[in-house]
Amino acid sequence: MVLENTPPAFADWIGPALVFFLQAAVMLGLVALVVGYLVSAFRYGPLGGGDVTYRMLRTAIRDLLSQSPRRILALAWLAIQESLRRRVLVGFGVFLLILLFAGWFLDTRSNDPATLYLSFVLTATTYLVLLMALFLSAFSLPADIKNHTIYTIVTKPVRPSEIVLGRILGFSAIGTVLLAVMGLFSYFFVVRVLNHTHEVDVASLAPSGGESSGQSTGRTDPAQNHRHQVTLDADGHGATDVVQGHWHTVDERVENGKTTYVVGPPQDLLNARVPAYADRLLFKTRFGAADTRGISVGNEWKYRSFIEGATLASAIWTFDDITPERYPDGLPLEMTIRVFRSHKGDIEKGILGSIVLKNPRTGLSSKINTFTARDFETDQLQIPRSLTDPAGKPIDLFDDLAPDGQLEIVLQCLDDSQYFGVALPDIYLRARDASFTMNFIKSYLGIWVQMLLVTSFGVMFSTFLSGAVAMMATLAALVLGFFTQFVYGVAVGTVEGGGPIESMVRILQQQNVTTQLEPGLTRDVVQILDNVFMFFMQAMTSLLPDFRRFSDVEYVAHGFDIPWDVIGVQVVSGLGYVAAMSLIGYFFLRTREVAR
Amino acid sequence: MNQRSRFIRKIIYACAIAALLLPLSWLSQPATTESQGGVLAQMREENQLSQAALGEIDPASETIKLATLGLRGVAANVLWEKANDYRKREDWTSLSATLEQIAKLQPNFISVWIYQGWNLSYNISVEFDDYHDRYYWVIKGIDFLKEGTKYNTREPRLMSEIGMTIAQKIGKADEHVQFRRLFREDDDFNGSLPRSQRDNWLVGRQWLVDAEKMVDQEGVPIRGKSPLLFHSHAPMCLINYCEALEEEGTFGEVARNAWRRAADSWEQFSNRDLPTQYNMFVRLADKERFDETAKQARAELEKLTPAGLVDQIKLEKIAALDKPQREAYNAAPEERTDEQRQLVAMIEDSLQVMPLEIADRIQGDKHAEALRAAEDAANAEFIARAIDNERDIVNYTYWQRRCQIEPQDDTLEARKKIYDADQAFLDADLGKARQLYDEGMVKWRSVLDANPVMRTDPSLVDELSSSIDHYRAILHQLDEPFPPTFILRDVLEAQLSFTGRPLPPSLRAPAEENNPAEAKPAETKPVESAAPAEPAAPTAEPSTES
Repeated sequence: MVLENTPPAFADWIGPALVFFLQAAVMLGLVALVVGYLVSAFRYGPLGGGDVTYRMLRTAIRDLLSQSPRRILALAWLAIQESLRRRVLVGFGVFLLILLFAGWFLDTRSNDPATLYLSFVLTATTYLVLLMALFLSAFSLPADIKNHTIYTIVTKPVRPSEIVLGRILGFSAIGTVLLAVMGLFSYFFVVRVLNHTHEVDVASLAPSGGESSGQSTGRTDPAQNHRHQVTLDADGHGATDVVQGHWHTVDERVENGKTTYVVGPPQDLLNARVPAYADRLLFKTRFGAADTRGISVGNEWKYRSFIEGATLASAIWTFDDITPERYPDGLPLEMTIRVFRSHKGDIEKGILGSIVLKNPRTGLSSKINTFTARDFETDQLQIPRSLTDPAGKPIDLFDDLAPDGQLEIVLQCLDDSQYFGVALPDIYLRARDASFTMNFIKSYLGIWVQMLLVTSFGVMFSTFLSGAVAMMATLAALVLGFFTQFVYGVAVGTVEGGGPIESMVRILQQQNVTTQLEPGLTRDVVQILDNVFMFFMQAMTSLLPDFRRFSDVEYVAHGFDIPWDVIGVQVVSGLGYVAAMSLIGYFFLRTREVAR
Repeated sequence: MNQRSRFIRKIIYACAIAALLLPLSWLSQPATTESQGGVLAQMREENQLSQAALGEIDPASETIKLATLGLRGVAANVLWEKANDYRKREDWTSLSATLEQIAKLQPNFISVWIYQGWNLSYNISVEFDDYHDRYYWVIKGIDFLKEGTKYNTREPRLMSEIGMTIAQKIGKADEHVQFRRLFREDDDFNGSLPRSQRDNWLVGRQWLVDAEKMVDQEGVPIRGKSPLLFHSHAPMCLINYCEALEEEGTFGEVARNAWRRAADSWEQFSNRDLPTQYNMFVRLADKERFDETAKQARAELEKLTPAGLVDQIKLEKIAALDKPQREAYNAAPEERTDEQRQLVAMIEDSLQVMPLEIADRIQGDKHAEALRAAEDAANAEFIARAIDNERDIVNYTYWQRRCQIEPQDDTLEARKKIYDADQAFLDADLGKARQLYDEGMVKWRSVLDANPVMRTDPSLVDELSSSIDHYRAILHQLDEPFPPTFILRDVLEAQLSFTGRPLPPSLRAPAEENNPAEAKPAETKPVESAAPAEPAAPTAEPSTES
């Protein structure tokens, strides 16, 4: 799996994040206070303004400290009832329809259907739930204010903060239930769609590996747009090869003198691998000098860097915590290595590589372990505890190579003028396998946090904007949130083509993004305007949540366990946004006549 | 506003709506089994633009189009951006899924199918190291294009693209040996087609022939593709099929028949009416006929031309040049400066005396006759030139000659001997290999003498040079010198002129021998004149070569 940014450990993240949150809260609070005072001062004079501001603050503190959970729950229940009245279940119906007809929209010949189907259900659920949260939260309060039904609430002894929190809680509750049901359906949909078996094509079975071995090979019939090669041993037991990320067991059975072959369900199709990544990755150049990166072979994407074959170039991963307690059966190494050929070589053969295990302190290393690299596939290598050094002397993996838990894994390409491309997550130890079901539930937690964010943004905007405008504002926040990295790139100038005004000029003049604008007044004006826009864009991207950071689709789709650290970061930062939105929503609602 | 005026206003609105409905109905009434429908429906039918006429109506595609709520352009843009990003990040599964979505969003945008089909078969396949994976993606691209033909049943360009990908990508890639083998074994792609017919060149050709039929029989226009190239692909597939057969060791009657079939197909192609940039149709086979017409007309004009008239016109033209041009023209060619050479090159065409110029100057009763002859000559020369241009584009003459020469006994035998010799060499059977090389080269000598033009064929020169290298290696192993009167010396000289690779020491002239680096290709003799008058045995004379 590609991990361009390694997720931080929760314990390391929470301290600095809290400090940043408090700093941002204080800064924004002060700005809000000053602006509030200035507005009040303009309306009531300097002293009157100060008085109004003080009273507002005092009331706010009182409101926030004396909230009644019972009243909040009652308001939440009202929000739930209102959602049901507004036929929120239609969203669920649409979801079921999408699942029913998913096969229409998906590439049924994909070479990785598990990734595709999991991505599809999780993405479809995300979009539907977020849209539903958007419509529910943005229109509710404005509609109540417009129809005057809000008076039935505000005439009761409720606080504005309770109205805001009650709405967020109510809409979130209905969203949570809907999400849970969608998750259940999605789970069974994916499992059912991907589950399949094959028939062995008996005519294709032929002896292999010599007559005496009793081994035979053949193939299965096609199912779900693929077929497997079958290898059976002399006892009639065997397995298929790995196609589309899975394999099957095959057993020969003789009943009433008739031989049949039973192909089992797909194996390793739905995984939740728990990887132990290396602490760091360093490179050695073709002359053996240390470097932080390998060489570039001209790829636009700089994620992986390359080492040259048949030279001293190597990639060295340093792992910590290599202990017999963690890995009693040896090291289950998995690697994804990119191959780059600078000449055709022997097409029939893959590129050879070697793996050596090394003690970083003493330099003692294991005997070279050679392998043939398989591009874009994950190779598995089980390294046993008992190894030998290059001279053939027996050594112990844990006692001799990693006595203090630190171990280096050195990768080299052995073919002349051919290259291996790697990044840090490309070699890891498969520590264990977690439950796929649990992983699936965790991914729904990420969607749940996103739903919570949209709901709180929608309610916050609806406290001071009309329904349609609140929806547009929430939608803008959502779109910005999904394209945060791009918008940030535009704001800081790393995306070619300039700012928004320059881009518009380029579109009108049909200029490409790399040519320089003609020097002159137009360019100066455009750049000045863009600088203003870009300042605000940068500020917005810093304040708004990056929705893609709340998505765990990649983990589940590629069969990796979502670390609890990631979930923790997502939930806590999501709740931080909810708290901030509730507070802002409260203040805005206080400015409305109905809530005074 | 009272009740009555409100009522009147409503009546006026109702009448206006009814009045607007009439032209609307006239414009957009849908067609039924009994009526042709409104103007728009008729125009759609006439131009084959209705969805049902374009191809299969796919509910998924229609749903996606509707679900974008009129923002199809925006959605397509976002998807293209995503596809580019996935390609950059090497996420092939997501890329493939995104391409499906793009195609469903714009199912009748032919360029999308062609561009992305090419992307899958040519650009993504090569990202993989294992040729099995590469083949998978090549087929995925072809399947993608085939999917496109369901939505666009009347698109010869798409069918031609499928044919070309099956033929060219599988048959000409670096991995063509492996690809062709996998293609023959591919039951999923070929279905019930017998293995003997699963040759990528023949399967690809069938798609190209179907595309041509659509153009010829149904009158569907070829949009965005040159008709000359479009119609040349199918016969070229047969020629490539023959080459592939021989490369894989099939000779004899099978190869002969295949070459004859290719020759027939090439002839049919040369007799097809093809449009040109001059707004006229030509046939590639007609060039010789127009050359002959022009020659006869020129001869007729010459008979009518008074003696000295042509020279007189030319002198007048030279006199009309300005001073620097005239000085440049009058200077001896070897004494001209660079600037003068350029000037002469520029004015040379204008100094040619054209038939019509001659005819204009012939007065009296011969004038009309001369004018007619001049016009005939000019027209025939113009058409011959136009055909020549078209011929150059498809390398017509070369392939025509190949189709004539290849089915001949000598050529087939020469090829077979050299193929068997190469196999024996690879099997390390040096004695047998040497004997077969000797026999094969003698055969090639007679083929090249009978068809001198083949001596300058780069692909043949390359192919034979590789076998000659094997032959040299065998002699080296047998401790025998390379013969100074080598029977295919002209092939090595042609290789020298193409690649700059020096001749073996025993074939070099003494001056070259002393300084081989100075033996430049331009200094070699013309290949034709380098051919020995009589074929010599490959090992006729011993030399110092080892």
